[in-house]
Amino acid sequence: MLDRAGTPPKDDTTRRVRFRGAGFVPASSRFGGWIALALVIALWQAAGSGGLVNPLFLPAPSAIVRAIYELAVSGALWQHLSASLLRIGVGWLLGTAAGIVVGFAIGLSRLARSVGITFISALFPIPKIALLPLLILWLGIGEEPKIATIALGVFFSTAISVYSGVDGVPRNLIRMAQSFNVPFATIVRKVIWPGALPAILAGFRITASVALLLVVSAEMIGAQYGIGAFVLQAGNLMQTDQLLAGVVILSVFGLVVGRVINLLETRLLHWR
Amino acid sequence: MIGIARLAAAGLVAIMAMGTAWAEDALKAKIGVLRLSSSAPVFIAQDKGYFRDAGLDVELKFFDAAQPIAVATTSGDIDFGVTAFTAGLYNLAGKGVLKVIGGMSREKAGYPLIGYFASNNAYAAGLKTPKDLAGKRVAVTQVGSSFHYSLGLLADKYGFKLAEVKIIPLQSLSNAAAALKGETVDAALLPISTARKLMDDGGAKFLGWVGDETPWQLGAVFASPKTLTNKVLVTKLLGVLAKADREYHDVILAAMKDGTAPINEQTKPLLEIIAKYTNLPLEQVVGNCAYIDPDGKLDVKNVDNQIKWLQEQGFADKGFDANTIIARDFVRAD
Repeated sequence: MLDRAGTPPKDDTTRRVRFRGAGFVPASSRFGGWIALALVIALWQAAGSGGLVNPLFLPAPSAIVRAIYELAVSGALWQHLSASLLRIGVGWLLGTAAGIVVGFAIGLSRLARSVGITFISALFPIPKIALLPLLILWLGIGEEPKIATIALGVFFSTAISVYSGVDGVPRNLIRMAQSFNVPFATIVRKVIWPGALPAILAGFRITASVALLLVVSAEMIGAQYGIGAFVLQAGNLMQTDQLLAGVVILSVFGLVVGRVINLLETRLLHWR
Repeated sequence: MIGIARLAAAGLVAIMAMGTAWAEDALKAKIGVLRLSSSAPVFIAQDKGYFRDAGLDVELKFFDAAQPIAVATTSGDIDFGVTAFTAGLYNLAGKGVLKVIGGMSREKAGYPLIGYFASNNAYAAGLKTPKDLAGKRVAVTQVGSSFHYSLGLLADKYGFKLAEVKIIPLQSLSNAAAALKGETVDAALLPISTARKLMDDGGAKFLGWVGDETPWQLGAVFASPKTLTNKVLVTKLLGVLAKADREYHDVILAAMKDGTAPINEQTKPLLEIIAKYTNLPLEQVVGNCAYIDPDGKLDVKNVDNQIKWLQEQGFADKGFDANTIIARDFVRAD
């Protein structure tokens, strides 16, 4: 059997075919994304200046840029940005740290697994906005409830992606380390951690966006500054250009964070 | 839901009874309202068939916040809106996509609607009247809301600066109530319906009513410029509303004592209509009756003051005043 596989049959009827098994490798063009973005914005602007759409319902990109510029000149932009960055940063770090610890515990210990998964399944789907009045009663209206809202949202997604990552580490690698009598801590550090890292970093990509999503709900709680508070206020006042300006700032945040995680992936996962 | 179904059935029967020729002539209109007593005349006119008698086929659309009513009127989903003035409404009106055509509810002395409430600790520390609010942390729902404006009027009345008050926007009434109960703010502005439960539980102390401190024009009837081209429809609708305003005023408001309407033979039918549309028990409706001018007049001067205040605070776009947003042909000024 094995010998025959190496020698292709020299049959006249065999058809020669092109190599087919290249897999799907969507190569990312360098400018494709930017050109598409520019086209959409140009169309949008044209529709706005041409009077095709009511500027109230969909402000033109130029109006949004003007709103951001005015915000930057007045200095309010930096107040909003720094307030939100602090909340997102601290909330994300806390949620991620707790999520990694709990995720590893679930992945490695039988007790933690049975308890942890039950609690995560029960608590994850609770909408954080529904808990706002309770959070206010428990934590007041300072920075704590805002950070807690973000940290809670980040925690569950991180815990889930970390324990799935730990579960996904090839068992034979762990068994091999065990048969060489490698201590438990070293196995976790040298085998499981790098093995789970791709899944953990993929989880970061999601939790970073979750943190950005939650900053708007977090800043519903008595925030005077912050991008979320700014978006809410613009919505309340029906200032649609400012509303979209805030949304644009949030999505720029998202792009930057995506870039940072790309960088982390290339640095930490160079072995792949 | 049952109420709406019953209404629809009643409407259908009436149309059939009056013959198809009439039904074709009926002017159709959709009115957006909140389930609050501040829209009482609309409920009365609909329930007692005043719209139908005037040849109008009115459908009520219920919303849960003031702002979406203004937006829906602009987008043409409803023809008329009846709700409170908000900064968002003024910003829409300032762009010319909404016009105010009549007055509705008002804050007025003797008619409790929105009140100032203190937390227990702040009350013990000397916050006893609305005048003491200077320098305190006060929860409101949103910046630029009617609550925020009421505070601005209060600051003018007692000669302190609004900037001295730390305004804390919490986006919803339940959040504001929670903050007050949890002692994280010194005071909050709340409608009587939210505050009553809090007071009964001993979670807050009453300071005063906005109506007693600073009366102002709270709500209005408005429509999009497109609706206004149909003069017959607008005139008829406002005529019916004025009739219902008069009835509501003469029967309920005139009989009110200490902020509560008595339940007797005259008031009961109307109170029951309000209870039905607001989904509240009768005992709560009687202490929650908004003042409405018997002629449907609008306090134009106050509307202008509201716009100026919002513009000063940066909540409304500059470059328009009350005259720009009021449909002079229809509005009757104070």
